[in-house]
Amino acid sequence: MFLARIEGAVVAAAKHPTLEGCRFLIAQRLEAGGIPAVGPIVVVDWFGAARGETVLVSTDGDIARLKLGNTTPARMVVVGLVDRIPTGKGALA
Amino acid sequence: MRLGIVRGHVTLNLALESLRGRTLLIVEPITHENLCAANGLGGGKALVVVDLLGAAEGQMVAFTEGREAANPFWPDAVPIDACCGLIVDSIDVRQRSSISSNTTEVRK
Repeated sequence: MFLARIEGAVVAAAKHPTLEGCRFLIAQRLEAGGIPAVGPIVVVDWFGAARGETVLVSTDGDIARLKLGNTTPARMVVVGLVDRIPTGKGALA
Repeated sequence: MRLGIVRGHVTLNLALESLRGRTLLIVEPITHENLCAANGLGGGKALVVVDLLGAAEGQMVAFTEGREAANPFWPDAVPIDACCGLIVDSIDVRQRSSISSNTTEVRK
């Protein structure tokens, strides 16, 4: 699991049938050094996360399988909305 | 899922039975800088992605990696570790910088 900041939303008409009705957001993983080490990711969101919000993302597809069926390719899922993260030395940027 | 731009297709001559007839795409992942700049460039290391949706060259797709990529073929065991889940119509990142997948903007 890792923390990520929501940067925007994705609109997609053509999608795997199991992903119909899902909300897809673009998230950027937060790093300790402040420099994004990985590219933007697309996450499934059931919490209604807003742009700029920090979320907890799980890379485990089991919850998506449970909710969307065994044949879903969904993997990255928002599993929680973060209240606050520590600031100061080594803070996530 | 990561975002990428379809750059081409792969055709296999000899392949495992479970890969026969599958559409394979060459996808160039999009970096954070290119996504924010909305310049239509990818910038990531290209990879091969199995496609079930019929994505065309130049379109932006979101693809799943890892063992979940083989889920659409469940309960069959297929040696797939990247699968296209969405064909992106448009994305909306930051303030007022949106890019559309089906326009020439994302074509190289």
